[in-house]
Amino acid sequence: MKNRSLCNRWRHARLTEVTTASAWITVLCVLALAWPGRSAAADAPAWMHALVNASVPSHDEKTDAVEMYSERIVTVQSADKIKTLVREAYKIIRPGGRDLGTVAIPFDMATRITNLHAWCIPAQGKDYEVKEKDGAEVAMPAVQGSELITDVRVKVLHIPAADPGNLIGYEYEQEDHPFVLQDIWYFQGSHPARESRYTLQLPAGWEYKASWLNHSEVAPARAGNNQWQWVVNGAPAIKNELEMPPHRGVAGQMIVSFMPAGGSLGTTFVSWREMGRWYTALTRGRREASPEIRLKVTALTTPAATPLAKMQALARFVQRDVRYVAIELGIGGYQPHPAVDVFTHRYGDCKDKVTLMASMLKEIGIESFYVVINSERGAVTPEMPAHMGGFDHAILAIQLPVGLKDTSLVALMEHSKLGTLLFFDPTDEWTPFGRLSGPLQANYGLLVTPDGGELVELPKLAPSLNGILRTAKLTLTPSGTLAGEIKEVRMGDRASSQRYALKSVTKDTDKIKPIESLLAQSLASYRVTKASIGNLDQTELPFLFDYSLVADNYAKPAGNLLLVRPRVVGLKSSDLLETKEPRQFPVVFDGPSRDMDVFEITMPPGYEVDDLPQPVSAEFGFASYHSKAEVNGNVLRYARTFEVKEPSVPLAKMDDLKKLYRIIANDERNTAVLKATVPASAKN
Amino acid sequence: MRRRVLLVFAISVVLLACVYQMRTASADEWQPISPDELKMTSVPEAPGAPAVILYRQVDRDDSARTGNQYNYVRIKILTEDGRKYGDVEIPFFREQGTIHGLKARTIRPDGTIANFEGKAFDKTIVKAKGLKYLAKTFTLPDVQVGSIIEYHYTYDLQEGLIFDSHWILSDELFTKHAKFSLKAYPEFMLRWSWPAGLPAGTPPPKDEHGVIRMETQNVPAFQIEDYMPPENELKMRVDFTYSEHDVEREPDKFWKNEGKKLNGRVESFISKRKALEQVVAQAVSPNDAPEEKLRKLYARAQQVRNTSFEMEKTEQEQKREKEKEINNVEDLLKQGRGNARQINWFFVGLARATGFEANSVYISSRRQYFFKPAMMNASQLTGDVVVVKLNGKDFYCDPGSKFAPLGLMPWEETFVKGLRLDKDGGAWVDTSLPQSSDSKIERKADLKLNEEDGSLSGKLTITFSGLEALSRRNDWRDEDETARKKFLEDQVREYIPVGIDVELTNKPEWNVASPTLVAVYDLKVPGWASAAGHRALLPVGLFSATEKQLFEHTNRVHPLYFEFPFEKDDEVTIQLPLGWQVSSVPKDLNQDAKAALYVRKVQDDKGTLHLTRILRSQLLMVDTKFYPALRAFFQNVRTGDEEQIIVQPMAARAAN
Repeated sequence: MKNRSLCNRWRHARLTEVTTASAWITVLCVLALAWPGRSAAADAPAWMHALVNASVPSHDEKTDAVEMYSERIVTVQSADKIKTLVREAYKIIRPGGRDLGTVAIPFDMATRITNLHAWCIPAQGKDYEVKEKDGAEVAMPAVQGSELITDVRVKVLHIPAADPGNLIGYEYEQEDHPFVLQDIWYFQGSHPARESRYTLQLPAGWEYKASWLNHSEVAPARAGNNQWQWVVNGAPAIKNELEMPPHRGVAGQMIVSFMPAGGSLGTTFVSWREMGRWYTALTRGRREASPEIRLKVTALTTPAATPLAKMQALARFVQRDVRYVAIELGIGGYQPHPAVDVFTHRYGDCKDKVTLMASMLKEIGIESFYVVINSERGAVTPEMPAHMGGFDHAILAIQLPVGLKDTSLVALMEHSKLGTLLFFDPTDEWTPFGRLSGPLQANYGLLVTPDGGELVELPKLAPSLNGILRTAKLTLTPSGTLAGEIKEVRMGDRASSQRYALKSVTKDTDKIKPIESLLAQSLASYRVTKASIGNLDQTELPFLFDYSLVADNYAKPAGNLLLVRPRVVGLKSSDLLETKEPRQFPVVFDGPSRDMDVFEITMPPGYEVDDLPQPVSAEFGFASYHSKAEVNGNVLRYARTFEVKEPSVPLAKMDDLKKLYRIIANDERNTAVLKATVPASAKN
Repeated sequence: MRRRVLLVFAISVVLLACVYQMRTASADEWQPISPDELKMTSVPEAPGAPAVILYRQVDRDDSARTGNQYNYVRIKILTEDGRKYGDVEIPFFREQGTIHGLKARTIRPDGTIANFEGKAFDKTIVKAKGLKYLAKTFTLPDVQVGSIIEYHYTYDLQEGLIFDSHWILSDELFTKHAKFSLKAYPEFMLRWSWPAGLPAGTPPPKDEHGVIRMETQNVPAFQIEDYMPPENELKMRVDFTYSEHDVEREPDKFWKNEGKKLNGRVESFISKRKALEQVVAQAVSPNDAPEEKLRKLYARAQQVRNTSFEMEKTEQEQKREKEKEINNVEDLLKQGRGNARQINWFFVGLARATGFEANSVYISSRRQYFFKPAMMNASQLTGDVVVVKLNGKDFYCDPGSKFAPLGLMPWEETFVKGLRLDKDGGAWVDTSLPQSSDSKIERKADLKLNEEDGSLSGKLTITFSGLEALSRRNDWRDEDETARKKFLEDQVREYIPVGIDVELTNKPEWNVASPTLVAVYDLKVPGWASAAGHRALLPVGLFSATEKQLFEHTNRVHPLYFEFPFEKDDEVTIQLPLGWQVSSVPKDLNQDAKAALYVRKVQDDKGTLHLTRILRSQLLMVDTKFYPALRAFFQNVRTGDEEQIIVQPMAARAAN
């Protein structure tokens, strides 16, 4: 499906949020169960029967299904009408492949689906057929953070007997009234593919430009008058891995732009500059301020003494007081609502918020520019040609007044023509003005300028701006009880995630739950005796946790010894790479970070350290880990620092990352041995 | 007036999902707003709440030929997160009615008003043949912390239709004040009940000259927690049931009537005695002991192809298979197939033909709710089992459950009320609850400690028994060997608190009704022993991960609910490297809390460690007041699991 929205905000949702994706799955599952679909006995088409005895592409024992054939025949009829015929067929290999029997074809007001048919050729017996009228149309249920109102729907068909050994397939036609004369052919998916075809028919005199990503270029065969055909055989499956780059960034694909005869009849672009111009035209006039906006800007900025303070006041307003609500119909997926409407209703999606912010900044004499981006780093790469399909979000690049410098402004880029630009995400209410969340760092976005546009790399921020500094002063009793106070200072995304988690807490008494969950990871038994939260709403300041705890039986007696784990709380290790299968893709982190723990444990009287864990020092280019346990008088002090320096780890360094995680895991389990200086028997 | 059609089931289910419903008032009438409501920043009864429902009104009028329901909601926004309630979606079936007269507005904290002046969008949630499920969707303007949002609308039912009402009182938000009314359709019988109780101080619904009314205040927000009983059991609501005919209001008589009807079906199905006697003659020997006879009959019943355990087929597949209807045991034997209920009835027939006293028992699963006969809802008796008198005692079983061996029933059928059918209508019985020892996970590991890297490696055998085996067989019945292998390996990963290498080496028997399911593995646990200077430390709880983060929170709102009693028995043998000795082992633990037990022992046998761990739970439902004690019990379990064995090479020990 083409992306027809710049504000698929659910991609930003943290893990605790029910996402639109899961809601879709639920709806489709319910339909699959509740809507068995009527079907009639009819022969499957010849193109499917031709596959019955075709060789199955190589696959492993975990493969649920293989794609035997896919075909996409694109006929450009005019600048505003494209017809596409889609055919796909799968051989079901394992029970997990039955899910493919539920076919879901998305469409919207601009893309009509016609002639939807699906078939099953069972290994034995007659064929089955289901038609469009046997299916259902499904819309997106309302999920917090997703579009509230959208014209995107899905046609759902349930193919009978989608069982192992059987061949299923479907075809449909789609009539598209495109906003952009472009198409993306994804020929690599989550199943091994035998043969994928793409046929392009252009009107006389039209030309195309094709770009290949994650696959070597394939030359087309001239199939007729202004018709070309590409064929890819044997595309391997992309298997999902945790912390992998977005599918869009790693899948084999061809991006093709259609160019009308004699110049630009429709909307087409083959460069980022042209795409920027298109977006400039789309947003023209949308940032005009109304008298009410001007009044509000005056009210917000008059108390502020400096340009920076004025910008911060506006940023706070747009982030906090303008509710995120996405209403996207037709071109509304790309085109923002006018700033005036956004201000009046006090709601809007990402591009609406950007529009209002730009409008308000203009009123204090500050210029700013749209930045169209993907909320996941890696979905758009510098190798990609200009295309809209990779983007799902919009932020702002603010042209800072000459000479304006402040330590809080770090999401900066020097632009050769525009000077210093500050990137700002008005949708992300947890990331303060001046900063950028991890997934947007080192990400690529289209900077839309008066000259057009250019793909720019957003800055990567210092690890020290994102992390947890956890310090503890604790006392151990001879019976093994550990008690004391732990303070946490959280910065950057670490602060954002905690603020987000606490936002959805519906009872004061539940605010302690994040602390309890953290402690439960590391302590068998604990009581939180006091807890406080600091700077919950002051996003420009670090988030603070301060809590006191009692952990009975923390230290374990062993004869005249006491066994103490110096690393009291917090886990940095991961079993991400403890898998049988070798890793296929790089590991992508949220962003650079630096976490530090300093735990001081006052030992019980009459005990001294007998054995301490060895210090750990692990340095890799992408990350480092250092820890040390030492004794100062009667205090056992443990300090460690885990720094992630790069936003991702390439495949070539996967063994290093696995090694690093194992080093951390071992260190986290290490134990200090305390010995009674006076034997228990002597005390008696 | 033409008679209206009663649509009881499907529609009422959907309307349960609808936000709030409906009165016959089309005027733009808003309730007055008090200064206190405007000033409000929190509600003492709901501290920290993102928003509260200040007022809610539901007025249903079924009295006319075209029914309608008026709904009014007023919400106070208390936090930024609470602003999400400004987005409203009201689902409805186009075929069953329409929404009209929608008015909505936002009252700012200063009392000024922003009216919703847009058009609500009709979102198509599902559109299929003969079905259109829509949602009126809109968002309110200028919703800020401190705002009050409110909207009202009327749901007009399709002419001639009527369906059951449900006043759902428990909402995700705290409700300060709510009023409900229902003007009943006079030609049908109407019953109502409140199965989960009413909010404190709320008088029950009252019939005032044909209008049932109720007013309530301070309804707590409904909260979701782990290990809570089914939501239906906890959510306060009033359920109304229309019946077309005069229904029995006395529960005993009601169930007698229902029981007779159900019994008639059973008796009709097993009436072909000759066919049954032939089967019995082949299946059992007259010399078999009663228990042996029963076992053989049970096995015979389970030989029938059980269609309830097959993948659901599309209409076309069913047509093509041309399978005839099964109306009695002769049909069942001829076709060699039957659904779960028919197999149970077949077994009743076989048992009777052998001379046993056997009856069908209609039950209600405790997966969704706890059945209460007083509610007189026959549609809740969705399942069935069989009771046989064996050696003078009632013996419950479910041969229709494909993988259940004799004497074992799926957990949701255990410990539930059931209607034991007979010609007089039957009597209420309680199905049996298995003991914890009947459902075990036994983990036996024979491992060696590697002195180079502190890893453990060796063989692991896991034996799932009773409900632990049955539930796994049921859940994975449609999967293949590869998926099941991965599942069983993932189970071990869930048990052990560190990353491991594990490989299933046997082929467990999945497709049998056996009391056990046995899995054998090669296991490696990297770095299990950690170094502490010249010593090495081994945690005791190798299979402790499942209990690691159990009941981590101090506060608890709902009772705890467990599916069935269980037991975990672990026997781990660790052979130390040559020349290594044990310096210290933790003391034995035996924590007996009656309904729960934790035993842990570590023995040193000349360089070989024997670790024993037993965790037993006989718990099913635990009142909230016992939560701290239960939490403390599991904290002690974790403490015990974390204790360490100190081992060291002999040379190092000598140096001490």
